[in-house]
Amino acid sequence: MAMKNQINPWLASNVWLLVLGMLPAFLLLAALIYFTAWAFSFSFTDLELVGRKSVNWSWVGFENYVRLWTRKGFLDALWTTVIFTFFSAIVGQSVLGFLLAGTLRTTKSNLRSFIEVAIMLGWLLPDIVAAFLWSATTSQTGLINNLIITPLGFKPVNFISEFALPVVTIANIWKGTAWSYLLFSAALDSVSREVVEAAKVDGATPFQRIWLVILPIIRPHIATNMLFITIWTFTYFPLIYALTGGGPGRQSETLAIFMYKQSFGTGKLGYGSAISVAMLLIVGALSLIYLRLLREPK
Amino acid sequence: MENEAHSRAMALALSFMALIWISPFAWLILNAFDPAATGRLAIPQGVTLGNFAQAMSGNAGRQFLNSVYIAAGTATLTVIVGIAAAYPLSRLKIPGRNAFLWALVVMRMLPSIGVLVPMYFVSQSMGLLNNYGVVLALTILNLPFTLLLLKNFFDTVPVELEEAAYVEGASLWHIVTRIVLPLSRAGIAVVWFFTFTGAWNEFLLPLIFSRTEQGFPMSVGLYAAFGQNGAIQYGFLAAYSIIYAAPAVGVYFLLRRNMNTGFAGVGVKG
Repeated sequence: MAMKNQINPWLASNVWLLVLGMLPAFLLLAALIYFTAWAFSFSFTDLELVGRKSVNWSWVGFENYVRLWTRKGFLDALWTTVIFTFFSAIVGQSVLGFLLAGTLRTTKSNLRSFIEVAIMLGWLLPDIVAAFLWSATTSQTGLINNLIITPLGFKPVNFISEFALPVVTIANIWKGTAWSYLLFSAALDSVSREVVEAAKVDGATPFQRIWLVILPIIRPHIATNMLFITIWTFTYFPLIYALTGGGPGRQSETLAIFMYKQSFGTGKLGYGSAISVAMLLIVGALSLIYLRLLREPK
Repeated sequence: MENEAHSRAMALALSFMALIWISPFAWLILNAFDPAATGRLAIPQGVTLGNFAQAMSGNAGRQFLNSVYIAAGTATLTVIVGIAAAYPLSRLKIPGRNAFLWALVVMRMLPSIGVLVPMYFVSQSMGLLNNYGVVLALTILNLPFTLLLLKNFFDTVPVELEEAAYVEGASLWHIVTRIVLPLSRAGIAVVWFFTFTGAWNEFLLPLIFSRTEQGFPMSVGLYAAFGQNGAIQYGFLAAYSIIYAAPAVGVYFLLRRNMNTGFAGVGVKG
């Protein structure tokens, strides 16, 4: 392969300059690889943020990984994360995004752009602003209590302390649906009208048209969407942390928050690194499943 | 007839949903202009810009500048370092370069939260637990994807143009600055914008790196203000939120058209 393509003369006379140009990027990339390797090896130590073990740490083998299974925190957080990811991303964002993409295709353009702007606004908002909005909306004097609960004669409900996980789930659906909507809109554009019309002529019901005709055609898009939103939601930190801090108790403590608390709250950096390696393995395994789904012939 | 009633019901349902969707924003705007905002949903007694003035002065103003510094600094540094490396990567046929770039991008798809621990340690020992450190760390995290995008843009610039310029005696510097960069301007703008909004929204990294209220960017500043127990100043926070959200939202709608053409150039090729 080497030098089969001739180097253009203006490049050949300046090779060293070009190499020099690449140097800063390669230094930074080397740092990235170095940090990743380092994070991995931390997980086999008892390194701590402060105190004696921040200097005199030692190798502990797989002790941190054993602790993931034997101590309570990790498995609880894993379960919370699975619930959060399933309901907010896979059920909420995907299904709602798909339904919106499907219905808005036949809707008048004014209404369509109004709704598009509405869901895009949530998506574009910085995470912490979204957290503030939802914290205020669900507070005891907030929008929901003010408009619905109190007028109906009930006592105001403090949603964040009583329904922490549902609140963050809904907030994340509100924030993230735009991405799935945009992706599915593009996907539905790629489905040719003739195919759908043909199915209609053959007597397929609307449900059959969606399930047997449209969904198989856009399967690659579905898999791509799943891949991205699963990775994002599984490791999502700012919205939940700012909204509930993982609480009350541990009701909304996902893996990202658990890892942050162990590393920077309790200061157990070794254990925290083991958590992030475990997260990496789980996300990696999920991605492989989706990628197979993407490639598999029908 | 029946069909029309059906579509009208659908339109009504959709409008209702959109109203629910934007109702938190209505609340935000009402409170931001209300001189006596209490966090309740109420029509303000008067209209004031005092909340906005307060959200731009003192520590809050400082935090705005910190955010601008972090976001613009990260985006500019990433793009410059990226261009300097992406052009050679695009033109020199280094074996394995595509596999290398894709491997890095895949590596970055995995949770970045794990890499933060070593980054924290190194920054601590180098005295970089401040905004310089945040810019550097974000640049490192953004670089793989930036390199891949920029390289793909440069691949679309025809080599013949560069050849012609060379024949007429242009130097490498002229070829890059007069031909390659202007032709890939849209792509560079998209990359810059995305890095900018990403850094502008970033919360976790400055949460770990910034130590003083004067050093916080707006994300951490807003969190610190509404996460506190006790009396929450709703008017101030609402105005602060609007100022914080405006650049990301505004620039997106301004650049919407450019964005699409920019992305058309990216493609998903290896």
